[in-house]
Amino acid sequence: MSDNKKIGARGYVLPALVVIFSFSLIYIVVVLIPDMTMVKIHPSEYAMEYVQKDEKGEILRDDKGIPVPNAAGRGRKVYIKEGCFYCHSQFVRPQDRDFGSRVYAGDYANETPNILGTSRTGPDLSNEGQKLPDAWHIGHLRDPRAYTPGSIMPSFSFLGDEDMSDLVEYIQSLGQKRFEDPKNRQIYEAYYPEADTAFWKKSEHHKPNVDSAAAANAGAGIFRQNCAVCHGTNGLGNGPNALAMAKKPANFSEPFYKSYSDKTWYYRVAEGVPGTRMPRWKLKLAPEQMWYLVAYLKTLPQEKEVIIEKFQTINDKDWEDQSSLPQRLVDTYENISRMKDNGTYKSNPGGEIEGVAGGH
Amino acid sequence: MSNKFLSNEEGSSPKFFWYSAIFWLVIGMGAGLLGALEFSFPDLTKGVEQLSFTRLRPAHVNTVAFGWLSMANIGSALFIIPALCKTKLFSEKLANFTCYVWNFVIGAGFISLLNGYTEGREYAEYREPFDILVLVGLALLSYNLFRTVLTRNVKKLYVSVWYIMGAFFWMPLVYLVGNRTFVAMDGLNDGILNWFYGHNILGMWFTVLGVGIAYYMVPKMTGRPVWSHSLSMFGFWTIAFFYAPTGTHHLLQSPVPEWLKALAVIFSAALLIPVISVLVNFYMSMKGSWWMLTTNMPLRFVLTGAFWYFITCIQGPFQAMRGVNWYIHFTQWVVGHAHVALLGTFTFFVIGAMYYGLQRLTGRRIYSVRLVKWHYWLLLVGFTLFFFSLTIAGLQQAVGWALAYPVAQWSLTLVPMWMVRSIGGTMMFASSCLFAYNIFMTMRENSITPKDQLDIAVPVEEGK
Ligand code: HEC
Ligand code: HEC
Repeated sequence: MSDNKKIGARGYVLPALVVIFSFSLIYIVVVLIPDMTMVKIHPSEYAMEYVQKDEKGEILRDDKGIPVPNAAGRGRKVYIKEGCFYCHSQFVRPQDRDFGSRVYAGDYANETPNILGTSRTGPDLSNEGQKLPDAWHIGHLRDPRAYTPGSIMPSFSFLGDEDMSDLVEYIQSLGQKRFEDPKNRQIYEAYYPEADTAFWKKSEHHKPNVDSAAAANAGAGIFRQNCAVCHGTNGLGNGPNALAMAKKPANFSEPFYKSYSDKTWYYRVAEGVPGTRMPRWKLKLAPEQMWYLVAYLKTLPQEKEVIIEKFQTINDKDWEDQSSLPQRLVDTYENISRMKDNGTYKSNPGGEIEGVAGGH
Repeated sequence: MSNKFLSNEEGSSPKFFWYSAIFWLVIGMGAGLLGALEFSFPDLTKGVEQLSFTRLRPAHVNTVAFGWLSMANIGSALFIIPALCKTKLFSEKLANFTCYVWNFVIGAGFISLLNGYTEGREYAEYREPFDILVLVGLALLSYNLFRTVLTRNVKKLYVSVWYIMGAFFWMPLVYLVGNRTFVAMDGLNDGILNWFYGHNILGMWFTVLGVGIAYYMVPKMTGRPVWSHSLSMFGFWTIAFFYAPTGTHHLLQSPVPEWLKALAVIFSAALLIPVISVLVNFYMSMKGSWWMLTTNMPLRFVLTGAFWYFITCIQGPFQAMRGVNWYIHFTQWVVGHAHVALLGTFTFFVIGAMYYGLQRLTGRRIYSVRLVKWHYWLLLVGFTLFFFSLTIAGLQQAVGWALAYPVAQWSLTLVPMWMVRSIGGTMMFASSCLFAYNIFMTMRENSITPKDQLDIAVPVEEGK
């Protein structure tokens, strides 16, 4: 044994130090330096604060000095506990379409732990807020397949009313500040891809004369079939589906649309409107059909905006008479009415599912 | 009494770790399989919160990573280090005690994760009490092994010792800086830290331990020295320098600083150097011994692992390239990749080491060679199905995201892939049950075999 002692660490102290030193150096470079230089200096205007504040704007803290979360903040905890981030990312990449405006480092400044997510089994949720009404979320969380057939999102029907209400509050808060900022809409405006020659070249294929009455007539038919459910039979944005949408479909009677050129119309129809339910019709319709639609949309009266008072309904009774609803929807309705009774249901301004919500 | 529960017998601690690991393998894989089935049948466990996919997933990941693979690797380290140092383990008692701690963490952690007691960061889901216990366990193990190396009876350290001791330097550090219990950051920085940690438990723990084990197994099984000692040391040092900064390649399109991404990409590409040097060394050491694969099951496991190592390490740097990452990030391709590393490579390595080491330590022949072969083939075929289905599903998803088609339009095209994955998973789960059964029966039934007959651990001819 005494011999062994002599061998000991001789000759190996230096390598051991190198191992530890190099690792520490790497840690400093790739973790500590970003931490020191990045977010703390630039908390962005879109950074959300999931804490309660008193009248003076001071953050409320509990006995231990930990900030008290607000409803959305509690919802964020539910989001983490239930592991939504295993399937939903929360950062919009430069190449992403349809998920709203991009998210920058400072936007996350007040959030911890991170829930960027690494896998998108479902869509990115960075800008999910205000897109759909609370009732939709509650129903969808309870039974995703009732709302999106074939969805593999798990059912979270086991969530208590408090948790459910907080979680929905959190979902509705996502991207809220980005959404309210008009700058972010212009980003889309600026993305008018004159340079996307492939897109425009394809559009020229069988392009009809968009100023002809025949084309407008053809467009009217396509509109009834595909668009009226949301935009209404007269394009006033009051189709029956609009009832359940937080971001209502466009009302084409707004004078603003007079400024649209053929190409703008075409581009909008083809590419949809990011952050809303407006689909990208180029995935479904041929260029020729979309040009017919343009021809029709142009003919809609755009002198004076028609304020809509009532949504067109397929049949109002269907919503009230719950006996005709499938069981899964009955469950959702029971849940919502229970939440209303115990005060955990806060409907968002985007519209309620029953009754007729306000206009555009 | 203390002798019964805290044995000081030579070789008792690796056995304890290995048996526990096999138990956690079955539990962890079972959780994973149930989670995978929920992709095919989303309402399978509707209403049972403990069994919802999002609860199963962290329970599965942590149990197989810390319960199975870490414990199996630790068992191998406790077996290999004394063997290579021609000495006894510094303290079997201490190692056995650590194993109790570790088992407690995995068991209690499993239950608490199922109940939603989670930290919410991938690979670091265990909450504070468990984090502290894991760290204590790691510190005790490091202490134990270093004391063993210090009292060795050989002068120069074989490369496996370097790798394994490296792991026990790095892992406590990685765990310490990577968990919110000890270091908490805000916002995006937490993401950077998360992936520094997440990638380094792979690189500085599983990889170095796995490669260390394979470097022990290949020469041991073939009876010839490793092809080049200097090449093996070159591999060690390049891993040490190139692995640690790569974590940010998990965040390539997120708004982290560009220089950090560039660093991660460059070092990820540089990882090809250690990988190729390790593989060249393995394959060259096999020169003239390839025939042994037909008879020697532990060797076959290790070399199959080396094959998957090749796959995963070609994929890795390739995926870290911005262009490729642009496309396949966020998809199941990455999930497939993660499984090639932990399941295809390191699990195969360590199973080889276990079949060999357990026979050595117990002095018994394995209960049934036929079951070993079933284990091998079920695991291999199951894993291949699993890997390819996830890779294909990933490519399909990549198209969907890249062209921004709404999920609902293409999610149904993935259904066959989820099915194939579940089938592969079922096969792998079955193979693990066979493995556990085989080891259990070995413990119970077979009598001691004279040492000299154990040398080639599982020759086919003598099977039942
Ligand atoms: C197994 C993966 C998975 C998990 C876990 C998951 N989701 Fe989903 N989610 C999906 C998929 C797939 C879709 C798209 C299909 C659909 O609408 O159901 C989706 C859609 C959504 C949508 C609708 C997005 C839109 O604009 O159409 C919301 C909101 C949502 N999920 C919220 C959540 C929340 C909150 C949680 C956690 C409680 C969660 N998800 C957990 C997979 C998942
Ligand atoms: C699922 C509901 C839905 C359907 C179906 C639908 N839309 Fe929309 N549409 C919307 C929503 C929501 C908006 C966004 C309004 C906004 O941006 O404020 C929108 C916006 C638009 C716009 C852009 C208006 C603008 O401000 O630039 C055009 C053009 C349009 N839709 C045309 C169509 C056409 C043509 C069809 C049929 C082929 C159609 N939509 C079908 C929901 C729908």
